Amino acid sequence: MSDAHHGHVVEHPGSKPHVVAHHFNDADHEFDASKQGMWVFMVTEVLMLGGLFVAYAIFRGLYPEMFKAAHAYLSVKMGATNTVVLLTSSLTMAMAVSATQRGERNKALGLLAATVALAGVFLVVKYFEYSHKIHSGLLPGGLFGTEQNAELIKNFPKAPLFFSLYFMMTGIHGLHVVIGMGLILWIMKRTSAKEFGPHFYTPVELVGFYWHFVDLVWIYLFPLLYLVG
Amino acid sequence: MAHDHKHDDKKHGHHHYVLPNSLAFKVFGALIFLTIITVWTAHFDFGAFNFPLAMFIATIKALLVCMIFMNLKNDVKENSVIFFTSFLFLAIFIVLTGSDIFFRGDVYVKGPLVAGASKSKFKKPWVSTAELVAHGKELFGQQCTSCHGAEGLGNGPAAAALVPPPRNFAQNAGWKNGYKPSQIFKTLKEGIKGSSMASFATLPAEDRWALAHYVVSINPAHAKDTTSDLAAVGVDPSKDGMGGESSSPTIPVSVAMAKLAVADINVAVASSVAKNPDAPVGSGAAYYQSKCVGCHGVSGEGALVRNMGVSPKAYLKTGSLSGVPFDRFKSVVTKGLPGDVMPGYGNLSNAQLQDLYNYVKSAR
Repeated sequence: MSDAHHGHVVEHPGSKPHVVAHHFNDADHEFDASKQGMWVFMVTEVLMLGGLFVAYAIFRGLYPEMFKAAHAYLSVKMGATNTVVLLTSSLTMAMAVSATQRGERNKALGLLAATVALAGVFLVVKYFEYSHKIHSGLLPGGLFGTEQNAELIKNFPKAPLFFSLYFMMTGIHGLHVVIGMGLILWIMKRTSAKEFGPHFYTPVELVGFYWHFVDLVWIYLFPLLYLVG
Repeated sequence: MAHDHKHDDKKHGHHHYVLPNSLAFKVFGALIFLTIITVWTAHFDFGAFNFPLAMFIATIKALLVCMIFMNLKNDVKENSVIFFTSFLFLAIFIVLTGSDIFFRGDVYVKGPLVAGASKSKFKKPWVSTAELVAHGKELFGQQCTSCHGAEGLGNGPAAAALVPPPRNFAQNAGWKNGYKPSQIFKTLKEGIKGSSMASFATLPAEDRWALAHYVVSINPAHAKDTTSDLAAVGVDPSKDGMGGESSSPTIPVSVAMAKLAVADINVAVASSVAKNPDAPVGSGAAYYQSKCVGCHGVSGEGALVRNMGVSPKAYLKTGSLSGVPFDRFKSVVTKGLPGDVMPGYGNLSNAQLQDLYNYVKSAR
């Protein structure tokens, strides 16, 4: 047992030692508490996005035919591409965590870089999707181009609602992707500084959680927005 | 010590599970496979099963990510409880909101909407009986006299303001839909477009039949329904039933809100409207006192109109004039609202309209 007034120190050869915060009994205590904190944070994420999912459920229930007609304006190809891209990035992220746990620092760095790169690909695809929507006037609420889409608006006057949901849901998801990229870059910097290893990898794992959660949300957004039956 | 025991756990890999790459690839393969399945099944129409199927596949994918990539499977159980509880709350959120939005109408039609509406006690309400006529007379007193007058002669207190004027039931000529009970029933259900006659579809069907029989009783010259007349309003005379109502009507939320907004106004206020003798002749105030007060009330609270199956613009109570530009106000006042109770008053000058507009705005 080390000095009660200072934290434990956990070490691994070739890495910086990690000092456990003084209010934890030991490194495991710290790890478990941090992880639980992250799960609680993800609960708040579920509930925040939940509002949008409720709005989606209600409006789809009220205007099923409109959803069917409006969703045809989205590109299933691009949505499916982005699904594969995000799933792959989840794989590289999961492998980056286990590489860190095994002390394979360079492999972890490579996998984290791949994750950021895939996130970039996701955003580029999203950029093309968004610019096409903006160009065609397929925009939320009052911004909707009624003249460009006269046929849709004539048959389905509530169609702008679908695009409100589309932009709000994918927009908040996209914001999470951008934040996730920042977090992974931060983790890469700290990995390069030899802060992580088998002795201490909590931040890598928790950023991993965040990234998997981003993937999780997209797993639902893809069928809800792109594949309305 | 408790946490010494934990240290032992660590060696068994309880907290520090390392995901083998082989398993990671297997899960990834499964996720890609399920994505292909989702896109593929979207090409088929399974009707009502499209949505549950897509959500089922998405949930398997989500569970794979949670359990393996996020390692919830080997994590302490309380983290699973924490995380999955959020989905329980999400489910409550969706189900309660949905049950309100999608089934609110059912609640409304289960009970009588209007005071005095009775429970179903007439098996064939399209057949006139003394009891139905009496019931109709009672309802007539509550719903119709403000425009049609106590005797149904089209001379109620609000009649003077309405263009075209309310029907005089004692007359035989000029009935838009005809004066057989089934035709009156239809009018009560749909209203008459372009006139002040509103739809009374929020009244239960048997109440509308009772009103129709009462109106017919005012002028005994009225013809009786034939089987084809009844069929026209959806009644099969050989069967008992609500008569011409396949599904019960619902009340739009906006109407319910307006009804609530003016619910505390006593209809008696309108028939004893206090005129403002100080209003300068020709001013907006004077015009309001002479033409608008009958329906909109002394200070725009709705008054008379509230009891007529429509929602009056109760300006003072609901503030619904706020944001109405002058052009729109002018159009409504001069042309009226076709199909609604609001008649048009075409003989006003622009200056008078402006004055009236300012007055109504200030009254609010």
